[in-house]
Amino acid sequence: MIQKKVCMVGVYGTGKTSLVQQYVHSIFSVKYHSTVGVKIDRKVVDIGGTPVTLVLWDVAGRDATQDIPASYLKGAHAFLFVVDGTRRTTFEQLADLRALARGAAGDVPAMVALNKADLKAEWALTERDEAALVTEGWHHLRTSAKTGACVEEAFGWLAGATLRDGSKRP
Amino acid sequence: MPDDRATPPDYLGLATPYDPASEEFAELRELLLGGERRELEELKRRLDAQGLQVEELADRLPEAIALRGGRDGQLARALAPTIDDAIRESVRQSPRDIATAIFPVLGPAIRKAIAETMAGLVESINRAVEHTFSLRGLKWRLEAWRTGTPYPQIVIKHSLVYRVEQVFLIHTETGLLLAHAAPAELKVADADLVSGMLTAIQDFVGDSFRQQETGTLRTFSVGELTVLVERGPQATLAAVVRGQPPDTLLPRLQERLELIHLRFAAAFADFTGDAAPFALAQSALEECLETVLQHQRPRGAHGKLLWLRWAAPAVLVVALLGWLAWRSQQRFRVAVARLEAEPGIELTSAERSIGGRWRLRGLRDPLAARPAAILAGLGMDTIGLDARWKPYASLEPSLTVARARQALSAPATVTLRLGGDTLFVSGSAPLPWVARVKGLAVLPSGVSALDHSALETTLPPDLAAVKTDIEGGRIHFDIGSAALLPAERDLLPAIASAFLQLRGATAGLGYRSELELLGRTDPTGTDATNQSLSRSRVESVRAVLTRLGVPSQDIRGTALGTSKPLPEQGDLDQARANRSVVFQVRLSLLSSGAVPR
Repeated sequence: MIQKKVCMVGVYGTGKTSLVQQYVHSIFSVKYHSTVGVKIDRKVVDIGGTPVTLVLWDVAGRDATQDIPASYLKGAHAFLFVVDGTRRTTFEQLADLRALARGAAGDVPAMVALNKADLKAEWALTERDEAALVTEGWHHLRTSAKTGACVEEAFGWLAGATLRDGSKRP
Repeated sequence: MPDDRATPPDYLGLATPYDPASEEFAELRELLLGGERRELEELKRRLDAQGLQVEELADRLPEAIALRGGRDGQLARALAPTIDDAIRESVRQSPRDIATAIFPVLGPAIRKAIAETMAGLVESINRAVEHTFSLRGLKWRLEAWRTGTPYPQIVIKHSLVYRVEQVFLIHTETGLLLAHAAPAELKVADADLVSGMLTAIQDFVGDSFRQQETGTLRTFSVGELTVLVERGPQATLAAVVRGQPPDTLLPRLQERLELIHLRFAAAFADFTGDAAPFALAQSALEECLETVLQHQRPRGAHGKLLWLRWAAPAVLVVALLGWLAWRSQQRFRVAVARLEAEPGIELTSAERSIGGRWRLRGLRDPLAARPAAILAGLGMDTIGLDARWKPYASLEPSLTVARARQALSAPATVTLRLGGDTLFVSGSAPLPWVARVKGLAVLPSGVSALDHSALETTLPPDLAAVKTDIEGGRIHFDIGSAALLPAERDLLPAIASAFLQLRGATAGLGYRSELELLGRTDPTGTDATNQSLSRSRVESVRAVLTRLGVPSQDIRGTALGTSKPLPEQGDLDQARANRSVVFQVRLSLLSSGAVPR
């Protein structure tokens, strides 16, 4: 069985936990976020007949008072950055979070989920923002915890990318 | 060589022929190439001396092994797989040699194993007895019943020192689960998530208390569970222990973890999330699973107590059995005595088997009580009763009487009693029966005489009514007079006619009826006067009855005077009642003499 550690990182309130909770197997409650600061779930994805277990480290969101502990990110095989598409500030902190992740786990596959895609009226990101992501080499998807849009795709891409990546980090 | 030829200056003296063996040349060579030459020579020597090095190694190997072996266990661990393979190969090739070699150790080992198994068995029997009869055992049974938990689990829970329930091998950096061991009966799901969370908690504690560099969380307890965590550079070993883990457990985990690091060094280096290579570590983890119960118990006083625990119930059981046997024997004796005392039963033998089966032999009068009923009346179980009786006629009075009753078909109103060999018949019986008894020619067996003087005859109902009517009549007289008052005289024709009717009817049954007149006076006056007065009163009545057709020979007169007065309430009433003549009908057999008296 192949297992991959995937860290979900984002600013507080971007909907990380809601995004995945219907799609993953979990035995720990949300209160772990406020205590230990991380909640661990499992998602099994089939990649061309090979089952890959993604062990998801749903790290408590960053806010003004609390930074994301780097120790939770180390050794990650992939990252899922979650941005709240209705709050531009969460988008602007992406580069910062990426630097944090890169510092802890090296250059591993990463994906940006532009979440809350169902709230079209309040959408705060522009075509140019998304184009900028592509330019910077980010893979991104518009996701919605409400409709479930692209959630499975995000996991599928991450699992596939970790298999292709295969490289060992320093 | 021509002089005009331009020749360069011969600085090195190369133009002149040189002698390689010359001192100058050697010196020059030494100056220019000395260092390199020595290195080359050393290399050449080493290449040439390959064989020599093996010899050197052979010389130094024991020393090196001893040195490294003394330092740590790495050498042993490194050699173990090779030695395992070597032994396996050796066994495959020549099993007989191996068998011969290990034979001397095999016997003692087997004996030791058997002895230990037996000791364990005795210990477990002792413990079972102890648990069964001790207060604590009862308490545990109660707990098992109350909580619905099987009793063995309760025993384990209370006698458990510790139990290593789960062992996780975790990749230290990523927190991914590499291998996991747990007993089959313990259903563990999501070991991978627990593994991740254990790592996260370690990181959390490290971050929170800034202990990342100097140490990590090694032990934490949750209720009855303790989690021991041994962190290595590549992998972390976590053991979940129920109960109190001994101090030796953590070092054992350390050792195990070092071994895993050594064996799986390559797998760790290549690890990108595939745990398959670590499946081989499973057995190493399973060796860590263990359950330790309290078996070392102090001997001495405790051992004696244990004997008491055996002995007390045994004594109780023996006492109970003894008491039951004694009681059974006692009841048997009582029953036999009761049967022997019973008239008409003669026991010749009485036995009772261990199974409680009765075996009785003897004589029994058919009229005697039934033995089974007697035994049942004593509360005995008569289901297994095996009784054989030979019939005989008993001369016991009660049975003689019973036989006479049967022979005479005596009605229930008749009482029979044996005095010597005379049967006394008393009570009352219908006239025909009385007539038959009095005219009896053959007496019942065991009876030589019959006394029926106390036997009264009961008449058929219609005649009994007539008799009652006659005997209910009473003729009153005035004070001191024997003259019949007119009203009283008028009562006599009815009485006379009733008597004549009765006389006729009883004569048909072979009986003679007599009418007895009983005359009385009140208590005043002298006895002589009263006697004579009562006689006069009888005669007055007799005279009238005779005139009315009653044969005088059937009338008997008795003057009672004041003796045997009639009872009556109040003195005046009693005086009046006794100034009277009353009637009584006497029945007697027409022909007497056939009945001996």
